[in-house]
Amino acid sequence: MNSVRRARPWLGTLVDIRVDAMDEACAVRAIDAAFAEVATVHRLMSFHEASSDLARLRRAPAGSCVRVNARTHEVLDWSRRIAQASDGAFDPCVATMQVALGVLPVPESNFVPDARAHWRDIELLDGERVRLRRPLWIDLGGIAKGYAVDRAIEVLRAHGATRACVNAGGDLRLCGPNPERVDVCTAGGVLFPAIELVDGALATSASSGAQHLYGRTREAVAAGVTVSVAAERCLVADALTKVVLADPAPSRLLAAFAAQAWMHDARCGWKPLVLAA
Amino acid sequence: MQARWLLPVGIGATVVVQVAHAAQYMSVEQAQRAAFASATRFEPIAATIDAAALGVADSWKPLIWRVWNGNATAGWFFEDAVIGKSELITYSLALDASGKVTKLEILDYRESHGGEVRLAAWRNQFRDKTSADPVALDRDIRNISGATLSCRHLTQGVHRLLQLYSHVLAAKP
Repeated sequence: MNSVRRARPWLGTLVDIRVDAMDEACAVRAIDAAFAEVATVHRLMSFHEASSDLARLRRAPAGSCVRVNARTHEVLDWSRRIAQASDGAFDPCVATMQVALGVLPVPESNFVPDARAHWRDIELLDGERVRLRRPLWIDLGGIAKGYAVDRAIEVLRAHGATRACVNAGGDLRLCGPNPERVDVCTAGGVLFPAIELVDGALATSASSGAQHLYGRTREAVAAGVTVSVAAERCLVADALTKVVLADPAPSRLLAAFAAQAWMHDARCGWKPLVLAA
Repeated sequence: MQARWLLPVGIGATVVVQVAHAAQYMSVEQAQRAAFASATRFEPIAATIDAAALGVADSWKPLIWRVWNGNATAGWFFEDAVIGKSELITYSLALDASGKVTKLEILDYRESHGGEVRLAAWRNQFRDKTSADPVALDRDIRNISGATLSCRHLTQGVHRLLQLYSHVLAAKP
């Protein structure tokens, strides 16, 4: 039984799904279902699309309760946990500044966002409801791609796949017992055969211009730096790359999420940020 | 989860090696079958493309098939390629008999450097789109910040094929 591999454009990137050691017809069905889940995550958490949960939150008056999909609620919950653990270095509310800088397009909204609003103003209530304490715009671009990868892996497993890889433009997760080499592409467009990964996730982010903002100060992080983070979940790996780009002394944070990180810049080359245990 | 770093600390500071990177996903035949499971025949079509009228390059030669289900047209199938920032992406597009997009698949890509090919062409934005709808960045296809040229070019590629359909193929008996 060979590998079945498919790619489709989703999440602003090319999503690549591979299933190994499975009957071809079953693998194709599993991959189609995984792409459908990726599409659902995309529709729910797109910053731009008017029907996404994020757009619905922008239409509701601040202080009102908005019911969102369970997936969106889960990603917002993780966002808050990572924001708290990083003391705000990760903050999905930097969207307002990203729009001001032209990194994100101006979205449709029924209010002007409060520039001082931050992650603590996102209140998560039971029944999958969300309340914004202040008018704010949420962008999950730094975490939703990793979540979509995790969900795709879960769907593949539910369809019986035991060995698979899902890669969304550099945020990838492997499942199965076999180690695989992962190449990392740096900010300069150079590929390094960098990591051997078993049953885990690896995310890579490169800083360029104003694309990544430091959550605490809303200032752009230094350009030309590439960060790779390995973790069990791709969501965690994805989000932590942004934290490490902003704050390259993240030992406690990485330990809290059982993650490992490596950083590259043109002057120093690659270095580990926390030595593997 | 286990992650083992394979490189010496400090590597990559001076040496720069460009690595060609490629991926093969589906053959044309696989993509045809995936889009039209019950088709009885894929008829290659040699269409005369009026490059000036369509606003495309003279060299543009997508492959076109008319898809038959018995004596009825089930739809149309195209194979085309777009050039992204540094990569060549081959993709297929399937239209139903009324010209609506039913499937967009990446067949393969080749690029001169590593892993990241950013395409902001959301698939659901292509679905149910006909050539009467404008397919353009900043209009109904939303671009994403940070996306490279790949996205623009895939969007343009789909737009060209929909134009070709409406100008040349839709009127075929």
